[in-house]
Order: sequence, then structure tokens, then C-alpha cells
Amino acid sequence: MKFDKIIHEPARLKIMMILSGVEQADFNFLLTTLALTRGNLSRHMEKLESASYLKISKSFKGKMPNTSYQLTQKGSKALAQYWENLDAVRRLGQA
Amino acid sequence: MNAKQNQASQNTEKLKEIPKLTRKYAQNRTLTILVFMVIIALASMFFAVVISLPYALAIVGFKKENMVLVCVGIAVLIVALVVMVKFYISFLTKFGGKNKGLLDQIIDRRVYGKEGIVSIPLPKLSKKMKHLDIILAIVYGVLLIGSMELGMLGIIPVKYFLPFTALFVVPFGVYQYFIMRPRLGPVILIFPILYTIHTILILAGVPIFFTGFFAIPLNMLLPVVYSFLAYMIGHIYSRYALKRLKGITRFVGDTADEV
Repeated sequence: MKFDKIIHEPARLKIMMILSGVEQADFNFLLTTLALTRGNLSRHMEKLESASYLKISKSFKGKMPNTSYQLTQKGSKALAQYWENLDAVRRLGQA
Repeated sequence: MNAKQNQASQNTEKLKEIPKLTRKYAQNRTLTILVFMVIIALASMFFAVVISLPYALAIVGFKKENMVLVCVGIAVLIVALVVMVKFYISFLTKFGGKNKGLLDQIIDRRVYGKEGIVSIPLPKLSKKMKHLDIILAIVYGVLLIGSMELGMLGIIPVKYFLPFTALFVVPFGVYQYFIMRPRLGPVILIFPILYTIHTILILAGVPIFFTGFFAIPLNMLLPVVYSFLAYMIGHIYSRYALKRLKGITRFVGDTADEV
């Protein structure tokens, strides 16, 4: 059984889990919730975006630029599959 | 199962709570609504004072047959009304029509700017439902104003005023929940629940209603108070959900790697 390496990284898994609960969240929300550095979070987001797990939308909130992230269908499926695999491994471990 | 496996298993279960907690947090970000309610209350109070003071001045002048006082009162009243209408028009121009929702956004940014934005969309209503929603809002407004009039005329006794309004306020409150979900969570139901409890207590003989000259307007404040309370509970719950969410995201470590 293979784990999706992109999701398997703990910070990215948490990002995906947060985004799976809502329609979209912005960079600031993820930054404050996950307590990562800006650079670190940016790199994780780039990786998730390059895998087409996230959709990015850039806008202006007043005069400030705002970047929001949304889980794509591919991302949702990958996340569901990841948990399926993980649960299967856990069941094997318990057996 | 050894201790390490047990810990990993617990952490995995905690991670699975993240979407639920994020959703609960987003659904209960009601501080914007609370701030909005306070702004409306303060603006209403301000305009009530601005209108009633010159009006009272003119009445006093009329009673004392002091025409100067009457003229000053009327002049100030006219100026106050013109300013109010001008303010209303400029407000609608800035925040109405195409800019509907802009004020909410501005308040939202001020209130939650540091925390960031997380959103759950408003439910998409079909055209039929949109029309039904507008009709119901009009019916609700007519019933509310109508019952106030009936109450002021004494047709509905003060004791039964709130139970009477509960007949349409409570169903409308429940309907609002079904229309607003999943944008707002079950917190919205606190309002009709409190209203129902209040009504039952009145009918059981508990004197929890205002009497006297301003009985009807004061009793009509009750829905506002209960709405405020419901949104306040929502806000407190959102803080709790965020705290738990941060607790999980920051302290639950490398679960995936542990498994």
C-alpha cells in the first residue's frame, strides 16, 4: 500500500484537513492556525497546488492583497484515499 | 498495541476532527453580526434622540405658547430630518445595490483581520426559493408591524403580546436556520428556542413582560436581545472551536509518520 507523499507530510495533511472542512481559507488563517512561518507555508501551498490539490484565488480585500485556497475535487479524492489507506494500515497493525 | 502505537492512533483520531472544528469555527464567526447589531442600535438611538429632542422642544414651546421655541424646534427638526435622509441616501449609495454585503466585509476584515478569512458559502437558493424568501420576509414584516399596532391599540392584551408574536416569530426563526445553513450553524436555533421558553413561561403565569406606556416597543426588544444572545453564544463557541483547532494543529505531531 502506497501513501501519497504529498499529503503524508504532517503540515500538508493539516492544511488539506482544514480546507476540507470549509469552502475556502486564506493564507493568514492557515498561518495563524498552523503556526508555520510564511516561507514554510508558502512552500507547502506550492507543492499542494502543483499536485492540483488546491485552487488558488487572488483578490484584494480593500487595499491589501489576499490569497485564498480551496480544495479541488482531485484534492478531496486524494485526501479520502489517504485516510482509507492509513486506516487500513492501522487495522493491519491492530490485527 | 504499544504506547507509541496507541498515541499515534489517538493523534490520528484528533486529526480527523480538524474539518469539523474548522467548519464549526467558520459557522460561528458571529462577531461581525454582533458588531453590526451594535452599530444599528447606536445609530437608531442617535437618530431617535436627534429627532425627539427638537420635537419635544416644539411641543413644550406650543404648550407654553412660546412661538420662538416652536419655530426653533421645528427648524431643528427639519434640519435633522434632512441630514438623516441625506445620510440614508449616501449610505445606500455606498453599501446598497451592487455593493450589498460590502459593509459586512469591511466589518469582517476589521474584526477577523488578524485571524484570517475562512468561509462557508451562503446556500444557493433556486429562483423559486428566492421569491418565496422575499414573500416570507414581507409577510413577516407585515405580521410584526400589524401585531405591534394591534398591541398598541389594546386589541392584543400586553400579557398575550409576546405569545401572539411567537406564533410567527418562532416558525420564521426555524425557517431562517434552514435557509442559512450551512453558512450559519444550529446557533441560530437558540433564538426561537429562547423565545418559545419565554412564551411558555408567560402563559404559565410568570410575569416576564413589560407593562405600561412603552410596553409594546419594550417587549419588541426581546427578539433583539435573544438574537444578540444567540450570536454571542455562537461567538464564544467559535473561540472554543478555534482554540481546539489550534491545539490539534500545533501539538499533534507527525502522526502520519508515526503510523
